[in-house]
Amino acid sequence: MNFSFSEDQVLLRNSVRAALDEQCPPARVRAMMDDERGYDEALWGEMAKLGWLGLPFPEEQGGAGLGLVELALVLEEMGRAAYPGPYFASVVLGGLGLMLGGSPAQKEKWLPAIASGQARASAALLEDGLDWDPAATTATATRAGHGWRLTGIKRFVPWAHVADVVLVPARAPEGLCLFLVDPREAGVTLAPMVGIDLGNRWSELRLTDAPVPADALVGPAGSAGPVMDGLLRRAAVGASAEMLGAARRCLDMSVGYAKVREQFGQLIGSFQAIRHRCAEMLVEVENSHSAVYYAAWALTAGAEDAAGAASICKSYVSESARKVCGDAIQVHGGIGFTWEYDLHLYFKRAKSLEPLYGDAAHHRELIVRGITAAR
Amino acid sequence: MDLNYTTEDVAFRKQVRAWLEHHMPRHIKNLDERRAWHRRLYEAGYLGMGWPREYGGQGARPMEQAIVADEMARAGAPAPTNGLGLGIAGPTIVVHGTDAQKRRYLRKILTAEEMWCQLYSEPNAGSDLAALRTAAVDRGDHFEVNGQKIWTSGGANADWGLLLARTDPAVPKHRGITCFLMDMRQPGVDVRPLKQITGSSEFCEVFMTDARVEKENMVGRLGEGWGIAQTTLGYERGGRALARVTTYASQYRQLVDAARRLKRNGRPIVDDPVTRQKLGRVWADLEVERYGALRTLTMLERGEHPGAGGSITKLSYSEFEKRFMELAEEILGPYGQLTDGVPAEYRLEVDTAIGDHGTWAYAFLWSRAGTIYAGSSEIQKNVIGERILGLPKEARADRVGGPR
Repeated sequence: MNFSFSEDQVLLRNSVRAALDEQCPPARVRAMMDDERGYDEALWGEMAKLGWLGLPFPEEQGGAGLGLVELALVLEEMGRAAYPGPYFASVVLGGLGLMLGGSPAQKEKWLPAIASGQARASAALLEDGLDWDPAATTATATRAGHGWRLTGIKRFVPWAHVADVVLVPARAPEGLCLFLVDPREAGVTLAPMVGIDLGNRWSELRLTDAPVPADALVGPAGSAGPVMDGLLRRAAVGASAEMLGAARRCLDMSVGYAKVREQFGQLIGSFQAIRHRCAEMLVEVENSHSAVYYAAWALTAGAEDAAGAASICKSYVSESARKVCGDAIQVHGGIGFTWEYDLHLYFKRAKSLEPLYGDAAHHRELIVRGITAAR
Repeated sequence: MDLNYTTEDVAFRKQVRAWLEHHMPRHIKNLDERRAWHRRLYEAGYLGMGWPREYGGQGARPMEQAIVADEMARAGAPAPTNGLGLGIAGPTIVVHGTDAQKRRYLRKILTAEEMWCQLYSEPNAGSDLAALRTAAVDRGDHFEVNGQKIWTSGGANADWGLLLARTDPAVPKHRGITCFLMDMRQPGVDVRPLKQITGSSEFCEVFMTDARVEKENMVGRLGEGWGIAQTTLGYERGGRALARVTTYASQYRQLVDAARRLKRNGRPIVDDPVTRQKLGRVWADLEVERYGALRTLTMLERGEHPGAGGSITKLSYSEFEKRFMELAEEILGPYGQLTDGVPAEYRLEVDTAIGDHGTWAYAFLWSRAGTIYAGSSEIQKNVIGERILGLPKEARADRVGGPR
């Protein structure tokens, strides 16, 4: 039993942090807010070169063959940098979705392209009812010739506007199916959904009798449920890792500020009202760290409590990160409420991920189902 | 990162589990029975496991100690006795004691032939422990002790006490304190039980009137007591962390069973969505405590000491325990308040260390103690803020110095 990072894992984290500190400082994050595509192509190319874009994919498909612990390390650093771009969408939602359910041919086509940065992927996991249960899917798939036609509305699809392929669940007579959809094809329209986190772009994706070929179906028809369950768990843990990074950044900034800001002739960090708040923030951050990396390990290792651990992770970190980032604004006072000060970048990153891939309430219900079903 | 246990650890766990199945007493009724159980545990090699072999220990790894504690919690095994001897006095003597002190005291702590208590807190020195006033005056061949201690767990049965006393009132308060081993069975020591909100008396008050401490029973050097106390307060953190969570998990399962039986608005409480949310949250918090325990164990296995990090663990679990017990009370309603006449299905099957039947009421009331003893939550936050986050210390009158 060893709950600490290996040397390689520490090296990976340090190199990701150094690269993002240099190439994705807050000024760059802000510049991307006004960019139409919303991310930096040069940094994307750099990420491909550094091997981040194929990190969890098998080596034969251009990946590094690493696990979710390593992926979580990268995502934590991205949260810490409030990195704007389709990394999570492409590697976690698209890439892991394909790894979990894709045919050999589909993997061969897409994983190397994602890993090299040539293609960007995403997944459309939410509809207007905001129900994360795959069984709640209402979009439909009907057979048409050799292929299918898809109809339905997907909401909050991350980075669909720059995606080459989107995993889209739809209900067919055989049951729930997952399709690979090119969002630029006929019958597919995108409309931007602009949230408070401008580094995390969403679209509404509307399918109107959109034709897709037979080989766009992921796995056998009707078999998408377990793939989506597995993908949602990984996305929940990945999003938690990013929230953890945002929270740690907020804590660091708060502690730094409390050491230099004076009021009443004293450093505010000497007041228990501030110091105790910072201590509580650290407890939340350390507990979130435990929850993220335990779940990442459990999913990679196929531990028997992996599903529960993923729900524990997302339910815990969703609320912790919100609290820590919110407390950071409180510690800073007025300056923390300004657009000019960087704190809101991280606050908004944590907030934007909080409801995605299941909020705390969703995962708590899953936890209790697991416990009461175990008897 | 690999959270699987090694094959050796799995085998050791099986061995401990099998031993407990054969030897564990069903119920312990009094201190004599508990001492006998303690003795069996010691003879099996399951107590003082991390202590050096030459003083009766096993020189075992932290993981093996954690596994034994965890298996005992899993089986609902009664605790050994002499907790303060095993947890505080013994480790203090191991680290800071003389060879003579180690030879004289350690083995008898392990066998519970001699019971120990900790004489730290005073009526006016709680969170501000360094303000203690109990005086030890050098009388040539011995020290003469006068003063009052409070919150002394196990004081009523103690043969020896680990004492902090002021030996120099003229220097700033943290520097005038010395650590001693004091014989509790002497005329100058008067022990009175302190009845707590639980109705039970795990704690005592201790009055010392011209009590005697031999010169050879000073621990460390004169005036070094504060530093020694700082290290000993950390001993109890860590090793028991896994077992503590296992006990919570056993209580949680009993709570879920109760929530299946009890009804609200015509349906089992366990089907009530509001309660389910709360149950889900508490289980997540509980598991996060377990992950934290694994992190602490990883450090201990590498020979690192959690140091101030222990404050994060202590703050986290003690605050968790209050939230957990508040939920238990909410689900159990008035059953949760019964101290007697508890229907069997709403009893809490845990060892209470005083030999009574476990009740949720007792566990609920007891949960208020955890955020006060061994450094209150507020003190833990000060430690975290100052020693981990490096935040500035507050301006405090007593840091300016001056005599006591």
